Amino acid sequence: MYKEPAKPHTLTNFTTALDQLRSSVLRMSSLAQLNLQNSIKGLLERDDDWCNNCIADDEEIDLLEMQIDHEGIEVMSRFQPVASDLREVISSIKIGANIERVADQAVNIARRARKLNEQPELTELHLLDNPIRLSLTMFDDAVRAFAERNTELAVELKSRDKELDLLNKELTDTLINRMQDDSPNLPSYLNLIFISRCLERIGDHACNIAEDIVFAVSAQDIRHLGKQ
Amino acid sequence: MSTEEHAATPTEASEWPLEPTNNFAPGENNFIKVDNFKFFYGKKEALHGINLEIPSRKVTAFIGPSGCGKSTLLRNFNRMNELIPGVRHEGDITIHGTSIYDPSVEIIALRRRIGMVFQKSNPFPMSIYENIVYPLRISGQNTRSVLDETVERCLRSAALWDEAKDRLNDSALGLSGGQMQRLCIARAVASRPEILLMDEPCSALDPIATAKVEELIIELKKDFTIVIVTHNMQQASRVSELTAFFYLGILIEFDNTRKIFTNPSMKQTEEYITGRFG
Amino acid sequence: MLRLFRNHFLTGLCIAISLLTLVPLFSIIVLVIKNGLPLLSTNLFTQLPPAPGLDGGGFGNAIVGTLVMVGISLGFSVPLGILAAVFVNEYASVSWLASVVRFVAKLLTGIPSIICGVFAFAAVVMTTHKFSALAGGLALAILILPTILLTAEQALLGVPYAFREASFGVGATPFQTIWRIVLPEAMPAIMTGVMLAVARAAGETAPVLFTALFSQNWIKGIMEPTASLSVLIYNFASLPYAYHIKLAWSASLILVVLVTLSNILAQVIFAPKHH
Repeated sequence: MYKEPAKPHTLTNFTTALDQLRSSVLRMSSLAQLNLQNSIKGLLERDDDWCNNCIADDEEIDLLEMQIDHEGIEVMSRFQPVASDLREVISSIKIGANIERVADQAVNIARRARKLNEQPELTELHLLDNPIRLSLTMFDDAVRAFAERNTELAVELKSRDKELDLLNKELTDTLINRMQDDSPNLPSYLNLIFISRCLERIGDHACNIAEDIVFAVSAQDIRHLGKQ
Repeated sequence: MSTEEHAATPTEASEWPLEPTNNFAPGENNFIKVDNFKFFYGKKEALHGINLEIPSRKVTAFIGPSGCGKSTLLRNFNRMNELIPGVRHEGDITIHGTSIYDPSVEIIALRRRIGMVFQKSNPFPMSIYENIVYPLRISGQNTRSVLDETVERCLRSAALWDEAKDRLNDSALGLSGGQMQRLCIARAVASRPEILLMDEPCSALDPIATAKVEELIIELKKDFTIVIVTHNMQQASRVSELTAFFYLGILIEFDNTRKIFTNPSMKQTEEYITGRFG
Repeated sequence: MLRLFRNHFLTGLCIAISLLTLVPLFSIIVLVIKNGLPLLSTNLFTQLPPAPGLDGGGFGNAIVGTLVMVGISLGFSVPLGILAAVFVNEYASVSWLASVVRFVAKLLTGIPSIICGVFAFAAVVMTTHKFSALAGGLALAILILPTILLTAEQALLGVPYAFREASFGVGATPFQTIWRIVLPEAMPAIMTGVMLAVARAAGETAPVLFTALFSQNWIKGIMEPTASLSVLIYNFASLPYAYHIKLAWSASLILVVLVTLSNILAQVIFAPKHH
């Protein structure tokens, strides 16, 4: 409804606290983007260093999730926010949880990538290119939509999720067929399937973030509409 | 509540609304109807064309910054504003279909149908008993048994019976602040009014006394239509089912309390309740 | 050091001057008691004054006369004053009439007491062709009416508006509000004003001098002249008879006691309530 809360609060502490919460979420989201990029790099360039970076840096993201929860609760108890402020605080807490899951998926990808890197390279690795591109752009767009309070971008995100689900399904089917012909590389094929699933989950979390953004900005609840 | 919950649809924010958002269909449910009501203190127009329908047996809260006209409107419901010299009005206020300005309506009778509780509790300098039966005595009712029964009923309604039953003949001025305000509520319901008007009833009370009065209001709404003016928005959100937001003599928004405090339709409402005003 | 000394000096000076102001008051009291006490007995209250030159007797008729005239004056001025104050304060407080009433009342508080006597003389004595206690009472009434009105108005103003508001809020008429809430609450302060007016009226000489005249006998009716303490003192003090002069002193003592009692009643018994 209102793109930007135009005026600051009469109580500057309140504005400061809300801004602090928002910047925590933004910091957490850029760290998660970085970790995700590192894990993908580690996968595609078959370089364990990137994977290890990703896994190590996940701890900071976990700490940020807890910090966001604490900051959010503090804002609610100190300032009793209502209307748009209340929606913003609650959404921030939920988005924090979703970003943490995205980072966990990045860690999973990194672990699987390390396993793949021990084995000879499979050409089927490049079947992942599209899902990777799609899920990474979805997460990037979710982060951007949060930063800009952009509900149109957020709503549009949800439609891409279907495409990602489809890609994941096709990839899984393709790899299962290949597995039957190339049994020595079974573990690698399985890892690829798991990585595809991780990417699909990242897309889901990006959609959750989009729903929370729409709720915060316009009070619309666009969850579970596709299931009708 | 008969009003359906519908998903909030984002609308364009307007600067100065011409029509307030009002989700209630006019009908028998609506007890107090304010019809294009304007009110003037001398030359100053304090209320500009208010249109409002307050349903019965619900708590409606009037909120808004100082000077917005919420108390002025409240005090017009029982025509208490006419105690001030030089006031006049345009438009109408009807209660259950009858205009309160109808020549056949006696102000005295109107005020006996409406109970009022003021910001600073104002018990008479008499005993607790006499305070409560005052409305009955001025109507000519002096039968002891009726008075006794009224005192007990009212004190029980005001959650004051246990504290006061052994000192009914003590001066009312010896009560604590919170007790005095509950006594004033008891006095206000003595003549079995249909409407209870409360003008910032808790602003002079400590948090515990406030909580007791709020609990009382929630109990009382089973039998009365209650309109409460309050500065405290948390109180409005705790206690009321409907909230009307006023600013500079205009009704900006009137809706379910839940909607007003999670997703108000008007920008001014949003700014006021989130503390971005001024 | 110098500042401290100056502080103590000025404090001492203030105390000394305050004590000095009590000197005239105490001198009067001491003098009156000293000269009035010798003749003090119940005779004073029960017997009539002696003829000039003779001994014995008292001034019971003067005491009765003073009380009767003060009573008459209260009978006129208290209801009138309170009702006028109620009108001015409760019913029409912003009207031009109320402003006029207030202004005139303030003006009349300073009226010379002899003018009250002259008015009563013209209004009652000349029309009824006789001096009477009624005329005297009326003169006193005019004297104290403005004070009672203004005191009553102040008393009514002292009643918090919140009481009236609460009363109107439950649907009481203005009359019910005044009768049941405002007047009872204001009564102590009104009574204080009345007692002070009594003290003043009892001691005035000029208004009763040529309205009630004087009498050597007990009062026969309000349309007859009557003795009063103040006129008795005036008359007897200028006689060349020692006994009568002593009687004048005793009358002064009784009058001072009466006035003091009235004041004490006003300030102690009818003192404003503190919530």
